Parts: sequence; C-alpha cells; structure tokens
Amino acid sequence: MGASPFPLRCRLTASSVVVISRALTPQVCWPRVPAAALLPYVPRVPPAALPGKLTATTFALERPCCVFDGHANASDTVWLVVAFANASAAFRNPPSRANVPLYERLPTALSYMTLETAAAAYACSAPSPAFLRVGDDTVCGGQGSRDPCNGPLPSPGPYRVKFLVMGCHGPKAETRWSDPILLHTASSPSTIDPAPVRCGSDVVVIASILASLGAVLAAAVLGAAGAAAWGSLCRRGSGTSAFARSSYRTHHIPPALPQPLPPGCTCSPPGLGCFAPRPPGPCPAE
Amino acid sequence: MAKSNDGVRILQGLLVFGNVVIGMCGIALTAECIFFVSDPHGLYPLLEATENDDIYAAAWIGIFVGFALFALSILGIIGVIKSSRTLLLVYIILMLITYAFEMASCITAATHQDFLTPNLFLKQMLERYQKSETENNNDKWMTEGVTKTWNKLMLQNQCCGVKGPSDWQEYTSAFRATHNDADFPWPRNCCVMDAQGSPVNLDGCKLGVPGYYNSNGCYDAISGPMNTHAWGVAWFGFAILCWTFCVLLGTMFYWSRIE
Repeated sequence: MGASPFPLRCRLTASSVVVISRALTPQVCWPRVPAAALLPYVPRVPPAALPGKLTATTFALERPCCVFDGHANASDTVWLVVAFANASAAFRNPPSRANVPLYERLPTALSYMTLETAAAAYACSAPSPAFLRVGDDTVCGGQGSRDPCNGPLPSPGPYRVKFLVMGCHGPKAETRWSDPILLHTASSPSTIDPAPVRCGSDVVVIASILASLGAVLAAAVLGAAGAAAWGSLCRRGSGTSAFARSSYRTHHIPPALPQPLPPGCTCSPPGLGCFAPRPPGPCPAE
Repeated sequence: MAKSNDGVRILQGLLVFGNVVIGMCGIALTAECIFFVSDPHGLYPLLEATENDDIYAAAWIGIFVGFALFALSILGIIGVIKSSRTLLLVYIILMLITYAFEMASCITAATHQDFLTPNLFLKQMLERYQKSETENNNDKWMTEGVTKTWNKLMLQNQCCGVKGPSDWQEYTSAFRATHNDADFPWPRNCCVMDAQGSPVNLDGCKLGVPGYYNSNGCYDAISGPMNTHAWGVAWFGFAILCWTFCVLLGTMFYWSRIE
C-alpha cells in the first residue's frame, strides 16, 4: 500500500545486476552484497486492549517509528516479512526486489513480504497512524499479480514477522523476529448452551403460594357446596320436604278406658257396652 | 339482633371495598398488559425467533383477565348490596375461573423470565443475523425480523453483539459466512456513525480503537424491557390474586350466611 516506485536510477541498476549475474559464468564473482545490519527492534502486537488487534485473518503491529533512521536512505523501502513461526529460521533475505516472495506463494514458500513502504514513512517526524494492519486488503492478490499484496492470512498461524529495509543493492537492515503471533480460531455457535443456569427462586415462590391459595379456595368452595348438599339430604331423609317449612306432629289416639258400668248392668265383656239387664243369676265370672 | 346487623353491615362494607379495589386493579392490569403487548421497544421479533414467546401469551391472558375482574367486581358489589344468593353464587363461580386463568398467566410469566439468558440471544444472533440461505418462509420471516431488530438495536443503543464485539470474533456465524473477517470483524452497525449513517473512521472501527466503535454489549438493552415486562405481569398478577383470595373467602362466608 502506498508503495513508492524505485527511482529510475535504482531500478536500472538492480535489473542490470540481475542481467549481468545471469550472463556471467558461475566462477566470476559479482560484488558481494554486505549482510543486512541487525537492528535491535522487535516488532510486536500492540499491548493496548484493542479487540480488533488479532482477528481470524488479520493482526495489527505497532508502527516502528524512528527505528530505521540512520540505516535507510530516503530511496529505500521497508518491507514486512511474514513467515510461519516454524519457517522463520529458514528464511533468507531476498537479494533484490525481484526475488521478493509474494503473498500468493505463502502456502508453498511459508513466508512472504508485504507492506512495501518508503522508509520516509517511518521517520521520526512523519505523522502517521499508530498501527499497521496485516491482512487489511481484501481486493488484491489476483492470479499472476506481481504487486505485493497485504491480503488476509489463510490460517491462524502462528506467524513471526520482521521488518526488512531493501535498498538498491538488496537488504540493508533488518529487525529481529517478533514473538510468535497466533490468530483467533472461532468456535461454532452450536457449543453455546442457552439453558438457564439455575431455576429462579421467583418461580418457586409464586408457584407455591398461588397453588396453596388456589387449593384453599377450591377446598372452601367444595366444603360450602358439600355442606349445603349434606344439609338438604338430612332434611329429606326425615320425611319432610325441604320446600314446605312446616312440620307435622302425629296425634296419638289413646285406647278408650273401660267406662264405669251403669247400675244394673251385669258383668259382660268390656267394650261391648251395656246390655239390658237379665234376671239376676249367679255371676258366671267366679 | 342489632349486633349481628352491625356485623353484617361491616362485612358488606368490607366486601364492597374489596371489590372496588379488585375492579381498579383489573383495569390497571389490562392497561399494563396492553402496553407490553404493543411492544414499544420492538423486541418481539427476537422472542418470536426463539419460538417461545409465552411471555406474550401471559400478557394477552392478562388483558382479558383484567377486564373480567373489572366486570365481576361490579357484579359482586351489586350482589353484596342486594344480598342475593344467586348473584353471589354466579360471582363466586366466575371469579374462580378468572382466578385459575390469572394463576396460569403469572406462573408462565415468572417461568419464562428465567428462560431469557444472554446465551439464548447470543446463539440466536449468531445463527440468524444476516443469514443468507433460509429454508422456508417461516425461517425467512424470523431471520428478517432478527436482522432488522439487531440493526436497530445496535444503532439506537450504541452497542454491539450481546456481550460485546468479541462475540463476533469468538464464534463463527451466519454473518461471517457472507462477510469476510478482514473487512468485517464485526457488523458495520457496531461502528460509531456520523449524521449520514456511515462510519466515522472505518479503519479505527475495524481495529477496535476506542471512540470509533461500540464496545458494550446489547444484552442490557434487551433484558431490561423484557424483565420489566415479565415482572410486571407476574408480580402484579400475584398481588391481585392474593387480594382476590381474601375477598373471595369473605364473599363465600357472606353467601353462606344469607337466609
């Protein structure tokens, strides 16, 4: 992003070096490029609590301000080398810009270089955003593209990064490798358990009190209905109807007492009344 | 018999007072439940998508129960004043039926309040928000409801996700299937928007720089109104039922004493 093209002078020199190296026979030594100076700076993910500094396909780095002053000219470019953590030891700095491993070859080469920026952008005095985001560009990286691409990372890593200053003759300075950076791996939402943690005490209180009140009411109604039904059953059983509120008293007719016999009546069976007197005879009663 | 006459008068007075209170509470319950059913916060689509919107059923029952309580209280007042056994018998029977319905409504509202956990809404949001392939019309309807509701929630309440924007990073989602992680670590509506509805600073929002994205979760904005709803139906209904219990017992006693 924002790559400044090499000055014409540098580009011609680099390509001419490449042409010469191919034309000469192997035993002709061409000028050795001095090894890149090792800077003590260690790139790192910002320690601030930013939720987006590590996502599934991108990560953020602190911007290395003032790190390359004194080691880079204004015409040099600073690249970011991204490599899998287990392949970082095997990474060799590319001798020229043409040998820079590109984003598309990450799965095979296990490393790539991106974020080609002019060294002036990292100068102390340059105003700049505080972070670099690796993996920010989703539209680059087409087939056969030769431009450096800051595309999203294909796997969670872990990755290690370092900055490399490339000049006209190849790498001029490099920083140390960072600590391994591991990206997020998202889990599936089916692992979320939506069940409530505990049965609420509210439910228990409401349900138990309401149930007991309801039971009391039901019992009261049944009791009242039962008492009314039982009362009416009792009254019907003793022979009176419930509607007529009067009660009957039976009369007991006492048997008639034997009447005293009128004078002149002889003994005769009681209840037959008195017959006409007959000539007195002996009482048959004894 | 002056003393028992006084006693009867006092009991009548208490019952009339009790019924007046029941009538007023019935109207209040109806009004409260109509307010909840009208969904002023627009959260009903979220409940509908959980396929368990019993809180709304409880509120609907509450509307009719409240109205029934009001009507029955008038019947009760007339019955008590006229000392009519028939009227009071009808009152007691209908009140018991209303009591049973209101019991059901209260217990349902209380039970389903516990059901509304953060994980429930999280799972629903991840599985439905901006889901592109829907199986049938019902699924499509619910998905559209959830998407619209979440978009509105995140804009109006300046929040993101259920517990925070990290919900979108911790779990895969239907949203992630159509929006790549590098451009959309979280939905655009999680960004702080300007007056025209576009993010103030998109790069800052993607990184999570404070001030350019919404850092708090939306769970409080969802659970606040829903808890109020459930508590309102459950506990107010419970209070009405306790009062109605006493009035009903008094009425039954009064009914049994009428010659």
